[in-house]
Amino acid sequence: MKNPIIKIRDLSSGYGERLIIEDISFDIYEGDITVILGGSGSGKTTLLKNILNLLKPKKGSIELYTNTREESAGADIKRDIGVLFQNGALLNSLTVAENIAIPLEQHTSFNKEIIRQIVDLKLHLVNLANAAYYFPSELSGGMKKRASLARALALDPKLLFADEPNAGLDPFTSKSLDNLLLSLREKLGMSMVVVSHEVASIKRIADRVIYLKNGKILFKGTLKKALSSDIEELNNFFL
Amino acid sequence: METFKISGDLTFRTAQTVYEELRRLIKKRRPSEIVLDFSAVKRIDSAGTTILNVLERYTDENSVALTITNMPPEVQRTIELFKFEENKKNKKPEELSFINAVGEGAYGLYRHFISFIRLFYEISSFSLYASFFRKKLRRPGEVQRQALEIGVSALPIIILISFLVGFILALQSAAQLRQFGADIYVVDLVVISMVSEMGPLMTAILVAGRSGSAIAAEISSMVISEETDALKVMDIDPIPYLIVPKVYAITFVMPMLTVFSIVFGIFGGLVITVTYLNINFLQFITEAVQAVYFKDIIAAIVKSIVFALLVVITGSYFGFNARGGSVGIGKAATASVVASIFLVIIADSILGLIFYFPH
Repeated sequence: MKNPIIKIRDLSSGYGERLIIEDISFDIYEGDITVILGGSGSGKTTLLKNILNLLKPKKGSIELYTNTREESAGADIKRDIGVLFQNGALLNSLTVAENIAIPLEQHTSFNKEIIRQIVDLKLHLVNLANAAYYFPSELSGGMKKRASLARALALDPKLLFADEPNAGLDPFTSKSLDNLLLSLREKLGMSMVVVSHEVASIKRIADRVIYLKNGKILFKGTLKKALSSDIEELNNFFL
Repeated sequence: METFKISGDLTFRTAQTVYEELRRLIKKRRPSEIVLDFSAVKRIDSAGTTILNVLERYTDENSVALTITNMPPEVQRTIELFKFEENKKNKKPEELSFINAVGEGAYGLYRHFISFIRLFYEISSFSLYASFFRKKLRRPGEVQRQALEIGVSALPIIILISFLVGFILALQSAAQLRQFGADIYVVDLVVISMVSEMGPLMTAILVAGRSGSAIAAEISSMVISEETDALKVMDIDPIPYLIVPKVYAITFVMPMLTVFSIVFGIFGGLVITVTYLNINFLQFITEAVQAVYFKDIIAAIVKSIVFALLVVITGSYFGFNARGGSVGIGKAATASVVASIFLVIIADSILGLIFYFPH
């Protein structure tokens, strides 16, 4: 039985007086790739922002368990989380290499040479080996996404959040990105929460699916159950 | 030969310690060969893999043979995941020498100058004829909106600053002229300074800081977010669409702002002369009217129009040439203010020579 790494109970949140998500409860399990899907305005990004503590909930609780039993209870949670934002969110005044180095400089005591090597390693992982000294404005949309993923993976986080990781990528790059995510899950035991609309990608990587509509969960369960669910919108989505 | 057994995890949390310890031992004992026994390693990540690579390089540089034994299969598979060939082409761009940098800078200035002149020509030609003869280029209401934005909202700060400038001018000159019994000439000094120089110049500097930077920021953010590209593919030239309404607005508004600046600057001077120098209001007005010539007023208006055009063209130039995301927007706004003020002062000098030098 897998342990939950995130527990969400009765979560309601929104902006101002407006509630975007209401009474959401679910668990994210360790080692799973959980895909959150839903239409535009369904509350996916609001949910993600709440989990990342970028938005305060109006009601409910969110608990993160990124420490294993072997590690100290005082471990810094931010080191254990990596986030790939929808539009990359790279700092425009820094090169790609400098962007990826930020979490390494902040959260480790490695010297410059080791940090540079780790940065090179991450760039190779995401097929951006030649882009170390480019600025974000000099990259295509897909390259920005991959650079952002490299930064999210800088500290080999236990938990990776990815907001539309495949958006803007060609099918080949999309598939190799999915294979990378699967390898990271297999080799490093990384758990992932992915917001996605790409059906092919979801079928490749998802262990569990959460389907949101109008701020409420319409379905939560394994990918297998999602594919054979009798919820019409979900069926239409996967067709 | 030295054998070291690594146990536990070789990850971000432990890799640095392991690496430093191994380096210390290698430096101290200077072995000819090192064997790393990985049989007790449970987990490795990218930091651990990197440390191994760095250690390999370090032992190689120090002529020490490195052997890794008893690598668990899962650990080996993770290392394979993170294996890569170092890309020797991926070099940091070299910094230019001083001479090259000066040359690059000079050539860059030349290219800026040519582009600026080209933009000046395009904006002028669209402003002078296209909007009159091509109906579709007109944007009803936009000129009024820009005039309100550039003019009305700048008025309070222009009034305040001009009043204080006139106040300070009168105060400083009074302190000197009193010694010679020439109190009355404080009026002439304040009035002539405000009308011919300070009024137009202060107004231009304030408008460059407020509106010039706003124009640069607006245009640069449109360029960066591809809004200007969207206009172009709809066969709408961004210059008449975006810039010409601003040209009309600022040309209309700037002389008015200059008049306000002059009036309130003189009023600031009046406060000092009436309270400090015992020159009454009527004396002040009489002297002021006598000090100003019609040529001075024409010079002030011509200057304000020229300065207005410089501010809007400079803001547009840096806006259209912005690159590099949010950083580019900031740079465009800053550069536009600095360049506008510089060009305004140069223009002021030239116009001063034109209007005043022959006499």
